[in-house]
Amino acid sequence: MRKASCVAIIIFYVGVLSLFAHKEAYKEQNINKKRSKIFFYYVQLEGARIMEDTSKDDKIALGDLLPQEIHGWQATGKDEIYDPQTIFDYIDGAGEVYRSYNFKQLLARRFTKEGSPDIVADLFDMETSRDAFGVFTHDLEGEDAGVGQGSTYNGGLLSFWKDRFFVSLYSEEETEDARKTLYALGKKVASSIKKEGKKPDIVFLLPSENLIEKSAHYFHNHLILNYHFYVSDENILLLNQQTEAALGIYRENDEKSYILLVRYPEIGKASQAYKSFVQSYMPDAAELGLVQTEDLKWTAAKLHQDFIIIILNAPSRFLAKETIEKVEKRIGQI
Amino acid sequence: MKKRAITRRDFLRVAAMSPFAGAFACGSKKQEKKKAARRAKVVLIRDKNALISFKKPNPRVIQKMLDDSITTLLGEADPVSAWKKLVKPSDIVGIKSNVWGPIPTTREVEQTLKARIMDAGVAEENIGIDDRGVRRNRIFKNATVIINARPARTHHWSGMGGCIKNPIMFVPWPPAYHGDSCADLATLWYKHNLKERTKLNVLLMLNPQFHGIGPHNYSDKYVWEYKGILVSQDPVAVDAMGVLILQAKRREYFGEDRPLQPPAKHIYLADTRHNLGVSDPDKIELIKLGWEEGILI
Repeated sequence: MRKASCVAIIIFYVGVLSLFAHKEAYKEQNINKKRSKIFFYYVQLEGARIMEDTSKDDKIALGDLLPQEIHGWQATGKDEIYDPQTIFDYIDGAGEVYRSYNFKQLLARRFTKEGSPDIVADLFDMETSRDAFGVFTHDLEGEDAGVGQGSTYNGGLLSFWKDRFFVSLYSEEETEDARKTLYALGKKVASSIKKEGKKPDIVFLLPSENLIEKSAHYFHNHLILNYHFYVSDENILLLNQQTEAALGIYRENDEKSYILLVRYPEIGKASQAYKSFVQSYMPDAAELGLVQTEDLKWTAAKLHQDFIIIILNAPSRFLAKETIEKVEKRIGQI
Repeated sequence: MKKRAITRRDFLRVAAMSPFAGAFACGSKKQEKKKAARRAKVVLIRDKNALISFKKPNPRVIQKMLDDSITTLLGEADPVSAWKKLVKPSDIVGIKSNVWGPIPTTREVEQTLKARIMDAGVAEENIGIDDRGVRRNRIFKNATVIINARPARTHHWSGMGGCIKNPIMFVPWPPAYHGDSCADLATLWYKHNLKERTKLNVLLMLNPQFHGIGPHNYSDKYVWEYKGILVSQDPVAVDAMGVLILQAKRREYFGEDRPLQPPAKHIYLADTRHNLGVSDPDKIELIKLGWEEGILI
């Protein structure tokens, strides 16, 4: 507990210092005092949250999950550790993706072998298995690598999730030797993670019929929603880090449609978000929650308890309504 | 009055903005556009011998490509006269490069640009080449002219990394521009007095990246040898043409329309919201020179 308190105090002061460090940037972007204050409170909350987790997570050090050598590739240089504030120093804009999934810490280790491309192992501690799963679903392209609880291999990149960890193993050039090594490394890392995690329940509410393989995404905020399916520049569904969303892409007779399911922390918030969505996205709807869009496709939305169910790009009015009913039925069965 | 949200449906109302699929639409365009009838000129030059090997430009060919494209762009008969339209001997010139590991601007391109700037009369000690160090670099701090040169690639958060985004290193904390998928990147051009100072934008399409994967947003699998260079004095127009090529490649590769993820709407907004340049392909005069096979647009 004493150790945890020290960590919290350090995080608090690092937060305060980063406020000063970023002062110039905030000034440039005209971020007012109110926003700085919110950031200040965020730092405090984050500190408290990490304090709690640190005491919980003392047993697993990220570096212990990775080997020092694999197939002749040796760990080189010092491991690099990043957090949600420093991740941009490492992967620039892509850092926003991991921040959107509440990631806590990233360890990067580089492996080198003479005459071969470097391999970079990135281990993300996502704090919860649902976010480890979620960030894995951000990029599902590729073949199943049979590693961890879900994996893909594509063009020199092997990624997988297990328990609360998301792991990306990347070869700077794709060679046969590197590909084999990535698989071996993936299996080794996966076996050092002893526990398995649970997928978020909301994903199972997406109907499986006509769902395109590897197309179900789990996320929290509108930035990630817009990445997969652009809805609006404003956060019209009032998504935030507490909301859970699942997006599935469906194909039937060459027609692509999308089912978006959002679960809010309480019914009142779901109701407010539903009103916001309907007002912004379908102000011209002749029937509440149903509209034909400019591409002659249909969008339907329905509030169901603490859920909002939305079907986008449905080929017909009938199918839009039928899909909503189908999803409602699945929610009713929980 | 509360700002109206711009939705996918606004975009669907105009097919003309298809290069920026998922971005914005005519309705908002009419509201936000302040200056009508602006036009821009972009030159696309390609040479099948532009690369010695994968990612290795041929300096001799690059020199010729840059000379031919810039003389065409500026309507001059020889490259030195063309460069004299961009720089004068008293100028301090910063070549804003890009050092991103997998596809950098390359030394070959940087040195070719530098040589021509010197040919136009600028002293070597008054020319700097930099990317991440521009805020500390004496030349860039005092630069009267910026030459903006970088490769085109898909970008995890802005949709596309191009000439509009390249000066992000002038900013003390780049993530401050991440909001709404970097929608307002163009504002940095005004905040750092870049609009007037940037005399030439060179978007390298030698081996552009049309798709990104993973935390490092890169795999050689999604890079192809297009062997082209786009040049313009308008950073928005040059990026708009770059997006068209990346989109066309994505269509060819994936066998279906796959908009950039996220849509590169900052290019469209650089025009309609910030008046930095021209993004509408109908208002861009595209001059194509050289090798035509696989040109895509």
